[in-house]
Amino acid sequence: MTVEESTEIMVDVNDLNVIFDEKQIVYNVSFKVKKGEIIGLFGISGAGKTTIIRVLTCQIEKKNWNGNVFVTNLSPSKKRNHPLILQNIGYVPQLELLNLYYELSPMMNIEVFSSTYGLDKKEARKIAQELFKILDIPSDIWNKRVKHMSGGEKKRLSMAIGLIHKPSVLFLDEPTTGVDASKRYSILSYLKKLNQKLDTTMFIITHDLEAALICDKTAILREGRMLEFDSPQNLVDSLPSKGLVARFEISDLNETKIKRIKEFPPVKKVLRVGNEVVEVLMESFEENLPQLIQYMIERGIVINSMSRDLASFRRFFQIRIQEEEEKEALLLKEGESQF
Amino acid sequence: MTDRKALIIKLHGSCYRIIRQMKKEFRLLFTDKFNMLIAIVVPPLVILLFGFMMNGIPDEIQPIDCVVISYDSNVYIDESTLNESVRDDFTLPYVNAANESDYLNMVHFYNATEEIYAMETARMMLLSSEIKVIISLPVAFSEFIKLGLPGLIDCVPDASDIKTIQDTLNSVFDSVKIFVNENNLTPQFELTGFEEFTIPEGYSFRFNYNITLTLSFIVFGVSMVLTILVIVQEKPVARLLLTPTKRSEILISKYLTYTIILILQIILLIISCLICRLYLAGSLLDLFIALFIIGFTGLSMGIFISTQSKTKTEANQLFFAVFIVILLLSGIFIPIDAMPIYLQIIAYILPLSHGDPMIRGIITKGKSVFGFDFFALLILSFVLVLISFIIFKRRKYEV
Repeated sequence: MTVEESTEIMVDVNDLNVIFDEKQIVYNVSFKVKKGEIIGLFGISGAGKTTIIRVLTCQIEKKNWNGNVFVTNLSPSKKRNHPLILQNIGYVPQLELLNLYYELSPMMNIEVFSSTYGLDKKEARKIAQELFKILDIPSDIWNKRVKHMSGGEKKRLSMAIGLIHKPSVLFLDEPTTGVDASKRYSILSYLKKLNQKLDTTMFIITHDLEAALICDKTAILREGRMLEFDSPQNLVDSLPSKGLVARFEISDLNETKIKRIKEFPPVKKVLRVGNEVVEVLMESFEENLPQLIQYMIERGIVINSMSRDLASFRRFFQIRIQEEEEKEALLLKEGESQF
Repeated sequence: MTDRKALIIKLHGSCYRIIRQMKKEFRLLFTDKFNMLIAIVVPPLVILLFGFMMNGIPDEIQPIDCVVISYDSNVYIDESTLNESVRDDFTLPYVNAANESDYLNMVHFYNATEEIYAMETARMMLLSSEIKVIISLPVAFSEFIKLGLPGLIDCVPDASDIKTIQDTLNSVFDSVKIFVNENNLTPQFELTGFEEFTIPEGYSFRFNYNITLTLSFIVFGVSMVLTILVIVQEKPVARLLLTPTKRSEILISKYLTYTIILILQIILLIISCLICRLYLAGSLLDLFIALFIIGFTGLSMGIFISTQSKTKTEANQLFFAVFIVILLLSGIFIPIDAMPIYLQIIAYILPLSHGDPMIRGIITKGKSVFGFDFFALLILSFVLVLISFIIFKRRKYEV
């Protein structure tokens, strides 16, 4: 059964608000996650990503949050549900140090964590071997101490521990942080592989926008508010002209020239993406592009080169965050002028 | 499913998790060779070393070096009658008594009438640690005794080591005892020991009397050192809490693991003591229980520090501070009864002040373990266990 066909809701969040010491951290967050989906929670630091996950993983007391939250049809608001929820979920922390006993072997680590779910040693070893094979953890290190393993191997072992009890939902906190660029893609591909083989719902909290490549849905958070929650493709498609972008390399690019380009009516967004490079998003891209070029030439803007491209999720994220910042700046300005 | 059945399943799950957590604890302990060294190897080694050291020293009394100076031959003028007297007939008997005493070794005798710098010379000897005490007979020593008055003896001990002053005075007293006995003077002194406290021949007197403090100190200290980091240094504890494992299960597994290590440690300690010819007036079981309760108090104090501390540094510092206070108020340095009343109260709350009397009672007097000291330690450890559970239960852990 594909994700689209699945109707089983694994995580259901309605109007979640989190307040610590009278300071609101999360505002009215709502979303639903189906079985087998990979969800990416994106946002800059302080966006509330970790706080939301902490509510879902029963780490925050009920007195600090309100709203209707269900994880595998169980509400974390009831303390008696906590062991059941924890039985159904897995967690992979950002730092391996918090997840692994470095002095023990990978197999012993597996035994420690699997026993907490009531799995017997034999069963746990069998599942571990399967997971180790998927995650390419070489068999010659299964019984050596974790401290001798490489960073990537530790990360993969951490994932295997998170999945040892075959959880319905796996939460991964910054799985690609601290990993070099080449390994980042392999970690993401391992996650996709695991998701496909085990049909596990995954929550990825990350700063790494590349992670959107494997996500079925992405949530963009800013200062505790959920700005978007949809598939990366739908989000990109929501941009003017379905995310078609004109990239210009302009001599002596400055704010005045950017302002001029913005004044061309069909232009919806101008992003400076390099020293002399801007990306332009506009309505009716195909029709308006020649006119835009003409407009720029008439206003003495020297175009050195031009190309067209499709916006990525990274660009969408940048645009969306920028929009919010501009809105906020405008509100602040209005407030100041009224005062 | 009935409630009873559900409870049994729940309990079974808990027991299973505790046993597996204990297995992990043992694995972690065995991977840390230094910890194992501290827990199992060092304590019996210390006892063996202590035993060899104490057994190497003969039980015979080590006499204290002294100098006797007599001013008795100097002229004495009776203030009431203005009669002059030069009696010194009790000087020689005292010098003989000092020579006879097993506790004194008279390095030199000076007659101050003939050697006017006798006191200065003796003081130099005292300063250079050649002798431990100067015994001086005053001018009217013989006259006073003859008149039936107390014949005063001046005593100048080496006061640089406060602990030896009492030994020095006891030795001088021995010479006085011999002197009064041999010269039929009054009062007469006789000291007889209690037969039931006597250590039979073939057993080391020194080892027996010194081991009591050493044992309680080792068991308590090692248990505490072993456990001060058990929680604070275990980083994946926070992650474990994101599994169905309960906090209480984690703590119980730690208590059980270290209790097993403690039992092993005590058995090895007792074997080491017996190898070193410990004479035990009481029962082995009593000694075992006594050592166990001392060790368990140390263990609970260690775990309490570990649950309380946020970092390893904090735990180490807290341990050091607590241990110093416990040591200072244990009665080793200053007798508890000599402390101000408020300090006495604190001292009796602290564990080491109960350890030594309890073990001494079992080893030398054959007393039962179940006395005031045992129950004081039992209550203290119970309170510490309870507090550590409360702290650990309330502590915030974030992954």
